[in-house]
Amino acid sequence: MLAKKVALDSKTLLDPASPEWEKVPAETINMGGTPLASQPSRYIRTAWADRPIGKVRFLDVRAAHNGKDLLFHLEWRDESRDADYSGRGFPDGAGVLFPLNGDAPLASMGSEEAAVNAWFWQADEPEAARNVRAQGIGTVEDTEKSRIVARSEWKDGTWRLVLSRPLAVADQKGETVQVAAGGSTKVAFAVWEGGSGERAGIKAFSKQWRELTLEG
Amino acid sequence: MIMVPKDELMKSDRQVAMVFDLNKCVGCQTCSVACKVLWMRDEGMDYQWWCTVNTQPGRGHPRDYENMGGGYRDGVPFPGIRPTREEWGGGWDFNYDEVFYSGKGPSVYLKPLGEPPTWGPNWDEDQGGGEYPNSFFFYLPRLCNHCTRPICIEACPRNAMYKRKEDGIVLRDETRCRGYQFCLEACPYKKVYFNYVKKVSQHCILCYPRIEKGVAPACARQCPGRLVFVGYLDDKNGPIHKLVNEWEVALPLHPEYGTIPNMFYIPPLAPYRLNDDGSIDESTPRIPIEYLERLFGSRVNKALDILKAEMAKARRKEQSELMDMLIVYKWRELFKPFDRDPAELQWK
Repeated sequence: MLAKKVALDSKTLLDPASPEWEKVPAETINMGGTPLASQPSRYIRTAWADRPIGKVRFLDVRAAHNGKDLLFHLEWRDESRDADYSGRGFPDGAGVLFPLNGDAPLASMGSEEAAVNAWFWQADEPEAARNVRAQGIGTVEDTEKSRIVARSEWKDGTWRLVLSRPLAVADQKGETVQVAAGGSTKVAFAVWEGGSGERAGIKAFSKQWRELTLEG
Repeated sequence: MIMVPKDELMKSDRQVAMVFDLNKCVGCQTCSVACKVLWMRDEGMDYQWWCTVNTQPGRGHPRDYENMGGGYRDGVPFPGIRPTREEWGGGWDFNYDEVFYSGKGPSVYLKPLGEPPTWGPNWDEDQGGGEYPNSFFFYLPRLCNHCTRPICIEACPRNAMYKRKEDGIVLRDETRCRGYQFCLEACPYKKVYFNYVKKVSQHCILCYPRIEKGVAPACARQCPGRLVFVGYLDDKNGPIHKLVNEWEVALPLHPEYGTIPNMFYIPPLAPYRLNDDGSIDESTPRIPIEYLERLFGSRVNKALDILKAEMAKARRKEQSELMDMLIVYKWRELFKPFDRDPAELQWK
């Protein structure tokens, strides 16, 4: 996957409906549900035994950077716009995952030896995105700072989301992935269809790491 | 961060338990208000009532919670749903400014702002069941049962809930909670609440800061009806052990939910039925036994018989240890060893 270098200001790129994004090639990712056996409690494994996990099966990803910020444009179909907790569902969500050390396993959200970093967005806080760090299933923690900005739009059964973070975050080493133009990192994605009760480990994810290269 | 094994989180060495004598509860709500004003003053807690007193028969709080699943059936987790905000109800803001300060006089009256309410923590109060003159109801105080098999703890994928070793109180770490609400789904009693502002679960903490200082929980201590016993379940000299394990008149609510609750109820005796001609039918209690069996299981029959037999003994002026215990001549004996006066405490 290439994060295309674009000569545009971040404000323009933050608009999920901006026509500039159409010039960035998209990669369609096949998403799969997280395996039932890896859900960390017997209650969850029983409650979801007969329910489909990971309703969103396709995610269109466009990655770009402008030398200042790294941005992801995510687009996926979701018939229902779910943005709060007041009913039986949960807010829709999306996440971008990176290893903090090279060999972090994806399926277990990292491990004790190898942490992962996620940019995590939920529709109930549409312009805030959390920077989280995990070392295994059930250990996700928000970092104190999050420099990730989000803009989203739900229209006609489709979510469009832009997540953006400055390239330079040297003061957050160990908490968030360090990237630079010309460099590369592994990346993975997750989407939660909140209306179906998806949250926590009940989600669709991109099943394997991809190599993301930032155009030099 | 190492994930502690689940069964470690669910075990305790001792258990603080409570017994509620439903023959004495008049539904005054002092307990629910005592709890509310003590613990639920933060943002997002406006609609929460960790202790509620509902009229039975009734739909309860949240509405129809007994149809929301959760708990275990035959040892297997039984999937549940979490209540919607509307099914909890309550948490209303009122038009105080308009009533007191707008100068509109008696043309306005106190009422909730916004949409007309559809449910609340005590919505069907005193409606009860049956047909006049044989209508019936009783009051049922409910709070977190601090269960011995707490499925809320089992359900949480982040191990944010745990049971204290020293007293079995089920607590949660709000910094670990991320609002997934599997605990709300899993609790069959629906006594875990969700703070919609902070996005974390919250529930009755059995006044553990008071328990640590030897003071009974607020609901128990403030009850004017002298109907709430507090103590360690294993204290063979205490009323909890005697009522639950020896006399067996104190029963768990919905034992079939399988979580082994530690809040117990002495089932309510009922007035006799009236025949059409106005005569009294002493053979049938007004509260149908099938209804009590639905709530407390078949053990309720024996419990009621024992209560009736001991009451008859006392009427005959014979000694009844059970009646002496339930009359509570000395109020402080409800709470041993948690009978300290909270006014004595110095909180640092």
